[in-house]
Amino acid sequence: MDTPQYNTDIVRSFILWSVIWGLVAIVVGLVVSVQMTNPELNFPPYFTFGRLRPLHTNAGIYGWAVGVIFATFYYIVQRLCKVRIWSDKLATFQLWFFNATIIAAAISLLLGFNTSKEYHELEWPVDIMVVVLWVAFAINIIMTIIKRQEEQMYISLWYMMAAIIGVAILYLVNAAEVPVSLFKSYSIYAGTNDANVQWWFGHNAVAMVLTAPPLAMFYYFLPKTTGVPIYSHKISIISFWSLIFMYLWTGTHHLLWTPVPDWIQTLAMAFSLMLIAPSWGSVINGYLSMKGQWHQMRDNYLVKFLIIGITFYGLQTLQGPMQAIRSFSAFIHYTDWVPAHIHMGTMGWVSMIAFASIYYLVPRIYGKELYSIQLANLHFWLILIGQLIWSISLWIAGVLQAGMWNAMNPDGSLTYTFMETMVEMYPYWWARTIGGVIFLAGVLVFVFNLIKTIRGGESLVSSAVPVEGRA
Amino acid sequence: MDLGSILYLGVTFGLFVIFAWIVIKTYSRKNRDRNEEAKYRMLDDD
Repeated sequence: MDTPQYNTDIVRSFILWSVIWGLVAIVVGLVVSVQMTNPELNFPPYFTFGRLRPLHTNAGIYGWAVGVIFATFYYIVQRLCKVRIWSDKLATFQLWFFNATIIAAAISLLLGFNTSKEYHELEWPVDIMVVVLWVAFAINIIMTIIKRQEEQMYISLWYMMAAIIGVAILYLVNAAEVPVSLFKSYSIYAGTNDANVQWWFGHNAVAMVLTAPPLAMFYYFLPKTTGVPIYSHKISIISFWSLIFMYLWTGTHHLLWTPVPDWIQTLAMAFSLMLIAPSWGSVINGYLSMKGQWHQMRDNYLVKFLIIGITFYGLQTLQGPMQAIRSFSAFIHYTDWVPAHIHMGTMGWVSMIAFASIYYLVPRIYGKELYSIQLANLHFWLILIGQLIWSISLWIAGVLQAGMWNAMNPDGSLTYTFMETMVEMYPYWWARTIGGVIFLAGVLVFVFNLIKTIRGGESLVSSAVPVEGRA
Repeated sequence: MDLGSILYLGVTFGLFVIFAWIVIKTYSRKNRDRNEEAKYRMLDDD
């Protein structure tokens, strides 16, 4: 069979824009981190913590992560299906509508239009843009899969379809709202039902945006990088289906000790613990895929990103279920422990896999050898160290905070005032900022390496160096 | 436990049955080897 002419232009464009939005997310993240230690750096009304923080999370999740998802999915689906994408025009429309949506989101958030639902802050007109964008993407990917030339579907395609369908259902259900003006709406759900739906969305957005797509990338790029297949396709299929069945019940663990019915909380807690099995099914499958290949951790920079990324996924999916246990949740919920947990996932797991994917793709789609593997290694160590400083400092801060909040005098009064607990946080917040600066430095090295590769890298055709990114 | 709660658990049980069916199908003698073919074929998709 002739090799189809794949569309790589769309992959290039989405990589470019995802990196731009990723930089925005990190820079705004640094700004809000400094605003915690220096409140005088809040400039009302537009540049306050309350408006910049959702801009940081939206740019990170929907600009950086989703941008990389669009790029990698378009690359992977064409190759696994051995056909060109269904519609080039729809993909091009999606690219520009993606940027228009992110810009609309950024402007509306800075203007203070916010539904107050975490990770679903966008008001209804931007909600509609998100839905149009996702439908365009879904149609193109699903139609490409339908017209595929390969009968059997590799595991990455399953994760991709789950992400596409899952995000659509989650977003539509949680976006059910009644508009009262151009930029104000109210949820159609009330009270605890609203909270329950919101965290069903919130936690499963983690599943369908920050878990399933990076797993699709990991299962595709690890064997392509090492040159050996994954350990077991059957284990990957069972892990996939168990993850899908279990994830949807866990959202209420965000609402432990609230008026949500007790049995739903217990159900969420139990399913959260059971979720360790499918998560670690993928982690162990990844480790076993390295059997006889562990030397590549030393001499293949892409493997380093991928294996450390899946390791952070493993740690994340152990820590998450522990946090879903009532007694532990009572101690650490609402403390700085929680952002540390989330950033291990976003900076450690998702971004490591995203960086590896881009490093794999750019030399191939531009036909250029990577400018510098030394810089890629420097990038790896900077983001690893930055992320560890970020998370470890806030884990310590969270435990300290929880301890101080819970400390009581013999007469039952609180030992510490809230302000006293805040003052204790300053050294850890500074450490967090330093971790963020180091992470940003790593990302700037990454961007520099990409620019040099695209503009002046040695052509792969004339290069004697193997394509697979050996150090 | 009200009717809504029973329905909630009923759906959970139904999903468990579907999941069990997928496990049995994946590891059946008929599909055991066939299910591993995709991981070899994807290495040659460029």
